[in-house]
Amino acid sequence: MNNQIWLIRREFWENRAIWSIPAIIGVLLIIAGLFSRVNLPTLSSANDTHDFAAIFLVAIGMFFYLVMSVYATWYLLDCLHADRKDRSILFWKSLPLSDTETVLSKLIVAIVVIPAVYFVAADVTALIVAFVVSIRLRSLIGDALWHPDVWLQIQVLWVYVIVTTAIWYLPIAGWLMLVSAWAKRAVILWATLPPLVLCIIERYFGSHVLWNVLRERLFGLPAASLRASGPHSWNVSGTGDDSTLHLPSSVWHFINAGEFFTNPQTLIGAAVGVLLIIGAIQLRMRRSEI
Amino acid sequence: MAPLIEARDLTKKYGAHVALDRANLSVEAGRIVGLIGPNGAGKTTALRAILGLTSYEGELKVLGREPFRERTALMQDACFIADVAVLPSWLRVDQAIDFVAAVHPRFRRDRATGFLAKTQIKGGRRMRELSKGMKTQVHLALTMAIDAKLFVLDEPTLGLDILARRAFYDALVNDYMDETRTILITTHQVEEVENLLTDLIFIDRGRIVLDTSLEEVATRFVTVAVASDRIEAGRAEKPFYERSILGKSELYFENPDREKLAVFGELHTPTVADLFVAKLSGGAA
Repeated sequence: MNNQIWLIRREFWENRAIWSIPAIIGVLLIIAGLFSRVNLPTLSSANDTHDFAAIFLVAIGMFFYLVMSVYATWYLLDCLHADRKDRSILFWKSLPLSDTETVLSKLIVAIVVIPAVYFVAADVTALIVAFVVSIRLRSLIGDALWHPDVWLQIQVLWVYVIVTTAIWYLPIAGWLMLVSAWAKRAVILWATLPPLVLCIIERYFGSHVLWNVLRERLFGLPAASLRASGPHSWNVSGTGDDSTLHLPSSVWHFINAGEFFTNPQTLIGAAVGVLLIIGAIQLRMRRSEI
Repeated sequence: MAPLIEARDLTKKYGAHVALDRANLSVEAGRIVGLIGPNGAGKTTALRAILGLTSYEGELKVLGREPFRERTALMQDACFIADVAVLPSWLRVDQAIDFVAAVHPRFRRDRATGFLAKTQIKGGRRMRELSKGMKTQVHLALTMAIDAKLFVLDEPTLGLDILARRAFYDALVNDYMDETRTILITTHQVEEVENLLTDLIFIDRGRIVLDTSLEEVATRFVTVAVASDRIEAGRAEKPFYERSILGKSELYFENPDREKLAVFGELHTPTVADLFVAKLSGGAA
């Protein structure tokens, strides 16, 4: 446990981008909230303001989530490669830390710590932007952003998204770590080209199985973890100032945990992920230098 | 007492290339052993096997453990510096001390800070800001502060200038070595470590060609300079290596009859560097 804490702290020393990128995005969004022209729809009813608050929080969250996905991918590709490239692996391996501990610490950083940092950054940003906009507009629209019940619901949704993302993308994370532990150079090419080439070969023989599996894995998380009335299918009716947003009243309508955790796709994917991570640990034991 | 390191038929293949070919060696506690060999002889592979950084065939026990399977446990009692330039560039000196102190049960922080206090190096500096010599001092401070039974050094002074090299070895011998510790060191610069070593292991093309103590070298090997007119008589005594310099031939003998050789001239014990050249060239002939 103590070793894990220090290994994770070590990752923060090495990868300052873990917190600096979300911090910069947050600051930019706050600056935008301070100086941009704010033009929001007229909200007539309490229901409207409620929905607007939810959309505002989800939009900020989604933006952080997208950046986080890109960064976490890069981090996973780099994490078992960088210290082989500069040979500092020989220093880390001179310490009584097992390769399993080391690989797991990096996995935890990628699928738990980085999402948690972005989650906190998104929250803080949303609160400050809401505060700034409220003061600037001094109106119902400003007040619309203050909905503790919506805010709390979004927190639940965030935690759910982090957990499902970690499990759903475990095979992708495992694959990236395997490449990171194996490739001598060009980790991005090694991570992307072999699956792509396999898909092309498969297509040549008239099959789309692998292609569908990959596409499903990369883009299928919302469908697998959220209900059909999830954020991707928000229903906006009317135009201009009359826009009304129809949202389910509670976040529980989105969360489809029972189906997600019993879905064979989830379970098989997680099992494949575990195998790939075991492979990455084995490679880490054997390939110390480039 | 069982040897600290014992290898029997230690073999490591990389595809068709045999880096270690049934190597046998043993290292006793309290010794300073030089593992010496030409480039590509298998020195580094042998060290990697001993430190658990690579898999291998054959039998190998280090401090009673199998290095590859038990690297984590082994690293509690053994420490190593494989090339001094490997501290990561982003790491700060104080972070390095904090980290090792946290994960290594035998690390003594006061020793590391005491050692660094004698240098110009400040805790807030990152490795990328330090010269190679300073990085060496940091690495040495970190490693020497560990109460380890075995300390392995792989080409520790590669790329350092003469001042930094001298400082490195002085620190090693004065501040670190005592009878409870064992040091295994590989280097190209044989002359530099010659008067520090107690034992020698020569390795060539994956095989151990010599494994002996320095005291034994003095009784076992003899060199004598023979004038060119008596060279045939000298050769009759079966030298294993011969080298001509300044009109004389220097003949190298193993376990010779010293009285017979004395007639040719003064007998000398070869230096480690000369013995290395003789042993490896002779073996190749």
